[in-house]
Amino acid sequence: FTEMPTNNFVESSFWNFDALFQPQQHPARDQHDTFFLQDPAEAPELPPGYTSKVKKVHSQGGYGSQGYKYDWRLEEARKNLLRTHTTSASARALYQLARQEKFSPVKYFSIDRVFRNESLDATHLAEFHQVEGVVADRGLTLGHLMGTLRQFFNKMGMEWEGVRGGAGGSPGSPLTLSLSPGISQLRFKPAYNPYTEPSMEVFSYHEGLKKWVEVGNSGVFRP
Amino acid sequence: MPTVSVQRDLLFQALGRTYTDEEFDELCFEFGLELDEITSEKDIISKEKGEEKAKGASDTVLYKIDVPANRYDLLCLEGLVRGLQVFKERINLPRYEKIIPPQGEGQKLIITEQTVQVRPHAVAAVLRNITFTKERYDSFIDLQEKLHQNICRRRALVAIGTHDLDTISGPFTFTAKPPSEIKFKPLNQSQEYTASQMMDLYRTDSHLRHYLHLIENKPLYPVIYDSNGVVLSMPPIINGDHTKISLKTRNVFIECTGTDITKAKIVLDIIVTMFSEYCEKPFSVEAAEVVYPNGKTHIYPELAYRKEKVKSELINKKVGISETPSNLAKLLTRMCLKSHVIGNGNNIEVEIPPTRADVIHACDIIEDAAIAYGYNNIQMTIPKTYTIANQLPLNKLTELLRLDLAAAGFTEALTFALCSQEDIADKLGMDISATKAVLIANPKTAEFQVARTTLLPGLLKTIAANRKMPLPLKLFEISDVVVKDPSADVGARNYRHFCAVYYNKSPGFEIIHGLLDRVMQLLEVPPNEENGYTIKATEGSAFFPGRCAEIFAKGQSIGKLGVLHPDVITKFELTMPCSALEINIEPFV
Repeated sequence: FTEMPTNNFVESSFWNFDALFQPQQHPARDQHDTFFLQDPAEAPELPPGYTSKVKKVHSQGGYGSQGYKYDWRLEEARKNLLRTHTTSASARALYQLARQEKFSPVKYFSIDRVFRNESLDATHLAEFHQVEGVVADRGLTLGHLMGTLRQFFNKMGMEWEGVRGGAGGSPGSPLTLSLSPGISQLRFKPAYNPYTEPSMEVFSYHEGLKKWVEVGNSGVFRP
Repeated sequence: MPTVSVQRDLLFQALGRTYTDEEFDELCFEFGLELDEITSEKDIISKEKGEEKAKGASDTVLYKIDVPANRYDLLCLEGLVRGLQVFKERINLPRYEKIIPPQGEGQKLIITEQTVQVRPHAVAAVLRNITFTKERYDSFIDLQEKLHQNICRRRALVAIGTHDLDTISGPFTFTAKPPSEIKFKPLNQSQEYTASQMMDLYRTDSHLRHYLHLIENKPLYPVIYDSNGVVLSMPPIINGDHTKISLKTRNVFIECTGTDITKAKIVLDIIVTMFSEYCEKPFSVEAAEVVYPNGKTHIYPELAYRKEKVKSELINKKVGISETPSNLAKLLTRMCLKSHVIGNGNNIEVEIPPTRADVIHACDIIEDAAIAYGYNNIQMTIPKTYTIANQLPLNKLTELLRLDLAAAGFTEALTFALCSQEDIADKLGMDISATKAVLIANPKTAEFQVARTTLLPGLLKTIAANRKMPLPLKLFEISDVVVKDPSADVGARNYRHFCAVYYNKSPGFEIIHGLLDRVMQLLEVPPNEENGYTIKATEGSAFFPGRCAEIFAKGQSIGKLGVLHPDVITKFELTMPCSALEINIEPFV
């Protein structure tokens, strides 16, 4: 997997939400969950051709989709924020990939900080790290995604004892992964993300707590 | 994820069988729901207000179920039960029918042009001969609340009003008037108020005060009247008391008003499909006519059934299974997407019911097929993609430096990227405007006012939290800082900084200087002016006068090192001398 550049904490709503098909009225874009910036408040530059494509898909549909059918506003997309997930970096990376002359399959990853405007408590911080991986190729299936995830978690469980893993979207949840390999230790559950369909939450069995704990989130990007 | 609270026994009764908690949890897992909590009203009150207040509260077991944010059809007991029963193939998905009453007999909602400025859209429908019980009534109210919170975006996009049709007579008028001209008795109040008085009345109401701002400052407030001037509601704030629904209500008039017509239609469809179950003719909804200011009319609810054609091969390919088209059609039907095989046997025609407004693309259909098949039944494979791995050069450099700095006897710290304005400015003797810091608009506490422009405060705060540790304290961090940059496409960018501090009874300038030399040695930067690095004495507001130097390399200033000024040390609640070094390592990538 090749590392993606993620060294920008400040992101525009466009890359963090709109390009990921998260509708502008979505609750996560609320003041409560996202850190919006006072200064610089707006992103000066957005990719012009791509922006109009995103606008169309949200408001009218496209690429086989009905879309959300609402009035998409450019000012909303310009709003700067501290990124809420590293998927915005993945969106940028995929955009660059799309602009290549010839498509080549890629595997990307990143491990970096994200920010959420939450009240702090024993299991929640305002900033935490996310591990993100993307595979882009022809003919990929949901089975491939599950297989990749299984290998990933197996590696974490088998090689490092008592490692703290907080993969995907679970902020700061300390977790010691079970050491024994085997499919029975990993289960997938249907979930929902605005930008992936199908989506799955990944659960692993925590020996200490004697219950299944969510260790990650995943999905196939929407066409 | 929205949470729906249902009484366990009612749920099991409707499902036709009982489950153990584990069995139900398993069922939820398969379907994509999460049994978040098993509790009771007594437990809830006990936790919030203490055991005393909980005495006398109900012991009935409540299941709190987490529902995906895009499944509006699962936000009430009725919807959950229907979804689960179809999933388990115990019932067939009901067919929702729109009954258009003969000309002149149906209900009409006339929209006037005054609403355009404040709340332009409205849709309406009627549930005829419905029978309410206490549980159904509570569920009805709960669903409206849930919809308000989710898709309606706290009533900003759509507001729902439900009324006892027998207490009023149509045609109804949806208009907007100045607040002083609107006067009625709001729900559960004992006297009439004008709209302006209601704004004051509800300012302290824990529930309603959050919606006042939606219309408060507009010149005209939305209001719905019947043909006799009785007020049905003043959306989005409150309904009239006159039309309130009771357990004896038989006919319900539903109106949804708002600023987003697509969502208003979806909301209306959800309410009527969910509760038409209890009408005399189950799953039938009486249509109403909406008349627009320009004279055009439209019949609601739409209750549209949309058809989409999907190749069965596509579903198989995308999921990684190989099922026959007729099996796939069966799987989809279990997910409330009635399907059958058409054509030459390779295509499936899927009918998307009005309850599944979340299905907007073939990929949504594919996901449902996968869920019905069972995610955990899918064979896991590895993609055959052949790629060569690469590490980002900046991160590679960071990793290499970290190891060697630890070898030099320094301990790594990981600190917060967000801090208060004082941390990066006042405490370091600088003015905030000189820092080019990125300011956050909505911090919850003062600790998150700005994104850090320097790693130094974080390390100093770490020392302050670890005063009891044996001296000397030698900390370092290599991490990003954020600075405003007009040339960046978002207006700000990250810089990778390396910062080290030495805290001891003596400042240890020579130690910090030695560390800089070691780092430059590792980076193969020679200590000379032309092609290497040099340091020049300078003044720095955070540093002790005469004990500060600026570091130059690769043709630019990359940072400073020196002994920290006692003011700085005190402001960070430290007591010993401290020297520090901070440089930007990006030029060395």
